[in-house]
Amino acid sequence: MIGPRNVRQLTISSAACIALLAPLGACGLDSGNGEGGDDEIVIGISLPLTGDFSEPGKGVERGYKAWAKYVNENGGLLGKDVRLEILDDQSSADRVASDYEKLISQEKVDLVFGPFSTRLVVPAAQVAKDYGYLFVEPAGAAEEVFTQGFDHLFYAAPAVADDHYNLLADKILAMPADQRPKTVAYASMDDPFAMGTAYGLKDKLEAAGVKTVVDEVYPPNTTDFSSIAAQIADSKADMVVGGSQYQDAVNLIVALQQLDYQPKLAAFSTAPTNPEFPKAIGDKTEGILSPTGYTPEATYQQNQEFVEYYTELNGTAPTEDEANAWTTGEVVAAAVEAADCADPSPECQQELIDYLREATVDTVVGPLSWDAEGRPESAHMIQQYVDGKIRIVLPEDQAEADFIPVKPAW
Amino acid sequence: MSGSLLLQSLILGILLGGLYALLAAGLTLYFGVMRVVMIAHSAFLILAAYLAWYFNRETGIDPLLSLLVTVPLFFVAGVAMQRLLLSRLRPATLTMMSVLLTFAIALTIEGLLGYVFTGTQRRIQLDYSGSSFEVAGANIAVVKLIAFGLAALSLLGLYLLMKKTRFGQALRATIQHPEAARLLGISTDRIAGYGFGIGLATAAVGGTALALDSTIYPSLHWHWIGPLMAIIVIGGLGSIPGAAIAAMLLGVTQSLLQVPMGTTWAQTVFYIALFATLMVRPQGFFGGRLAQRF
Repeated sequence: MIGPRNVRQLTISSAACIALLAPLGACGLDSGNGEGGDDEIVIGISLPLTGDFSEPGKGVERGYKAWAKYVNENGGLLGKDVRLEILDDQSSADRVASDYEKLISQEKVDLVFGPFSTRLVVPAAQVAKDYGYLFVEPAGAAEEVFTQGFDHLFYAAPAVADDHYNLLADKILAMPADQRPKTVAYASMDDPFAMGTAYGLKDKLEAAGVKTVVDEVYPPNTTDFSSIAAQIADSKADMVVGGSQYQDAVNLIVALQQLDYQPKLAAFSTAPTNPEFPKAIGDKTEGILSPTGYTPEATYQQNQEFVEYYTELNGTAPTEDEANAWTTGEVVAAAVEAADCADPSPECQQELIDYLREATVDTVVGPLSWDAEGRPESAHMIQQYVDGKIRIVLPEDQAEADFIPVKPAW
Repeated sequence: MSGSLLLQSLILGILLGGLYALLAAGLTLYFGVMRVVMIAHSAFLILAAYLAWYFNRETGIDPLLSLLVTVPLFFVAGVAMQRLLLSRLRPATLTMMSVLLTFAIALTIEGLLGYVFTGTQRRIQLDYSGSSFEVAGANIAVVKLIAFGLAALSLLGLYLLMKKTRFGQALRATIQHPEAARLLGISTDRIAGYGFGIGLATAAVGGTALALDSTIYPSLHWHWIGPLMAIIVIGGLGSIPGAAIAAMLLGVTQSLLQVPMGTTWAQTVFYIALFATLMVRPQGFFGGRLAQRF
């Protein structure tokens, strides 16, 4: 039996619970009516704000928000204000599809932007295709995005995953035979984008006779990398390549250091360009390579404006995630301006798609154009930690520092 | 597999097993003391890891010293949680309802961590994070050894507490037969509260050990709770030595299997072992019938 005293205590504890939960609800749920009035353009987006991809997902969110603010401060789009309707898909492929379904069919948003990462882009793009929406996305770079028969999709970055390491592959194959790495160890997350980058390089190096000595694929939830590191260290490979996102690369690098494995070259996708990376690895980053589709130092005029605006807004310079989000905004805006429409009607969406199929759009990552499946037709730069800072080393005409062919010990 | 790789994997497995043992110890204790399935245990681990990271970032002092604050803090939080929340659940449905309650607590902790520290993945930067020393051709990482040492010390402390003190006797009596314990004058409610507090205090130690050598983020606890639950069932619910031995065996097995089978399949060892245990010996290998003894 519950006495009056117990009831009161129960009430107090539930009240405490609600008080604790309330701010979470307030920050997690942007409810509201998506259907825009005449004076605004509503853009529907679902992003992985929690779960495995929350780190890059939040970067993309910052980029989208900064872009929308910038556009609104500069006269809007077609003279209307832009409003973003952002949902959290919790890094789940099921969730992202229902999010876009909701945004398009219930909230009747005028435009959609893509989510982060291939695994979420494919189901999201399928929904957009069913409704005939233009689908420009900031982060679905793996080959499978472009082989689904999507004729409404455009990837707003310079190159697809398989081509990220192209410049590095060329550089390695151009090395004199005695300097060129003879054996390579690959470790990649079981993720289409991450695997695409590592295997793109692997295919090119294997074709040129560079031997693969370790080829490990790990699930995205792996946190203990000591066994993978033990195999790589045991192989004594000249070079280690990580098809990575973020925490996997950091944990693998530390595990490799703990085993005192010293490769001549070490390349990891995504993670080294993250500002948190040097904080995690400390002073042992020297010589680590990473492909990047973006750097704040790029001299395109749009980029200089973007970096200045973004830095003032957020206090830090943008990274690739923010830049690709901003690029997505720029690409869609270019189509909207050219077609002079932004509404859910199939005619308008088709006009937007038709325009981008033929166009070259100037963006913060340079001029972009696309093939028939939506693959961008530019190249990724290669960055390397030189003197403690990440700098462009390839291509040579944009290099900020000289390529380090033999990585110092870490 | 070469001999040196085998040795290296074995050492890594033992170090990993030690950490698993510490992380699972609290979980099995809660169940032993009051038949509570504590889904939030791993969330408290991550909370402790974040506190260690925050302490280190703000003060620059070694994160191990954060234990001086987090261990008492978690003990008090554990006692409070047991007295204010769990003891209010009806005994008849306690086990099932505790899953729901602690699930909610886990979500709350995850949400608050994300709210306060953002979802950015953090790692404590230590001078010695990549340091290691060589033994017979295999490398032993300093941070992993520290984590293992913390685990060994905590488990030893827990063992001595349970076996050598009056409080430990009372706790074991409460675990074995609450009614008889009450007849002997043991205040089982109070003892259960302290037992819960001790369980949570091990989470403070475990979380700090975890933070030394991993990248942390608010949702990380979901990756841990499954393997930890498997460990305590295999070891026998409520049995701390059982959990420790099961953790060690599974850690070593996982580490060794990773070389021939790859990471994806090596992870399934926990669940295969769990299914096998439930089929062959559902009470676990060390606990009595649903772990009536320590």
